[in-house]
Amino acid sequence: MRPSRRFFVGITTIAALFAVWAVLTMVTGTVSTGRFPSPLQFWESARQVLTVGYADATLFAHALHSLKLVVMGFLVAIAAGIPLGLLMGWSRRAEAFVNPVFLLIRPIPPLAWIPLAILWLGLGDAAKIMVIFFAAFVPSVINTFTGVRMIEPHIIEAARMLGTGRRRMVREVLVPAASPMIFTGLRLSLQASWTTLVAAELVGALAGLGRVLNVAQQDIYPAMVMVGMAAVGVLGWATTRLLAMIEARAMPWLPARA
Amino acid sequence: MSAIVFESVHRQFERDGKSFPALDNVTLTVADKEFVALVGPSGCGKTTCLRMAAGFEAPSSGRVLVGGVPVTGPGPDRAVVFQQFALFPWKSVEDNIAFGLRNRKVPADERRERIAGAIRLMGLEGYETAFPHQLSGGMQQRVAIARAYVLDPQALLMDEPFGALDAQTRVVMQEELVRLARVNPRTVLFITHAVEEAVYLADRVAIMTRRPGRIKEVIDVRSIRAAEAWDRHERVEDVMDLESFVHLRTHIWRSLREEKVGGER
Repeated sequence: MRPSRRFFVGITTIAALFAVWAVLTMVTGTVSTGRFPSPLQFWESARQVLTVGYADATLFAHALHSLKLVVMGFLVAIAAGIPLGLLMGWSRRAEAFVNPVFLLIRPIPPLAWIPLAILWLGLGDAAKIMVIFFAAFVPSVINTFTGVRMIEPHIIEAARMLGTGRRRMVREVLVPAASPMIFTGLRLSLQASWTTLVAAELVGALAGLGRVLNVAQQDIYPAMVMVGMAAVGVLGWATTRLLAMIEARAMPWLPARA
Repeated sequence: MSAIVFESVHRQFERDGKSFPALDNVTLTVADKEFVALVGPSGCGKTTCLRMAAGFEAPSSGRVLVGGVPVTGPGPDRAVVFQQFALFPWKSVEDNIAFGLRNRKVPADERRERIAGAIRLMGLEGYETAFPHQLSGGMQQRVAIARAYVLDPQALLMDEPFGALDAQTRVVMQEELVRLARVNPRTVLFITHAVEEAVYLADRVAIMTRRPGRIKEVIDVRSIRAAEAWDRHERVEDVMDLESFVHLRTHIWRSLREEKVGGER
């Protein structure tokens, strides 16, 4: 399908969904607005949190707070995860040392770290970053590792016969050769970051989109819950999109994909 | 001086705790600026020989020397051209060719000059900034040959370099390599299972037995080529039509066929 046509179809689907929503809640009354807010209520709540604020801050401040934590946790995780994955992929010895520890940590769901994080670090930012770190670290290590192991052996041999030193082997051979898998890892890490952040903020937070959801739930305010959800959705989409743009820029040698 | 020397090279492979001989007392020398083709039935260990000269593998006993020095690992004095090209897909044609020179810290000015020379030599003008995936197989192998040639190596090790190309491209590349050998002679060890290719390209053809591989016979093509003036002919098909060529080819075929029949149990 042509991109312009694709876009048109997408817009139409969303518009249709909105229309059905509006009709069911505001015209026929099939769905009780006490449980599921109408588009108008949704809009009113959005305006409230955008201008006056809710749960001690405006939507912008909450969103910025959450975004900041995700970016920090994600960056720390990949800054540690990618080098570790490269090392494990390149050196069988490093893999033999690290893998047992990794196998132990890996099956623990990231959300299971939340209680410990709160006990250790409280309800503040540090606990969230720790939880995001554990969630985002694992996929970036595993995919980088797999990416290095999947490199065509002839490519490594070609680099060796050309007299490539260790630094350039890592920077100009291993990293670019593994980069499609590394980026797969980054995408998974980013998704995991958002998932765990919202969960951690739901359990206890002083600010952030998870706190908006939590307070709105206690206030029995479904419209505000939905505004919070929508905000998480938009931010998650925007950061994923940004990562995809970086990915396309970072690997100009790949044949264009649809 | 002999550029590449295999001295009583043996090689065992281990599988399931048992040891299998792959190479049995291979002794072969390639003189300076000589082009030697190594032919043999598949699985005879000819690629293993090349990989030992490259330094990717080591003999179980015996020695491999290049330029009088025992080979201990891969290095840019022994440039390899792989059957699968093995270009760096993330680097442009130019950067692929530059890679080995940059490893050697060749100054930028000299580097540019040598790269331009290699690009001209292999007819790659206009493709400098293309990525490998944008080129045909034949063009990719030209880049790989340029990447090896530009290093000015003591030995060029070519492992069935035209094996992955279609028949027509293959012929063009064979002619190209002969032209290259005239303009710019190099010490070459060339692995192939195509007998005609070996006879057309090489100064000498070494025939290997089936596994465990030994050197069965070494045939001097150069003297026949000179005596019969093969070089008068520009095209592969004209050379391959000459009686002396056909005679040599048939001789090698028979020698190889004995190995294949012997191999069927």
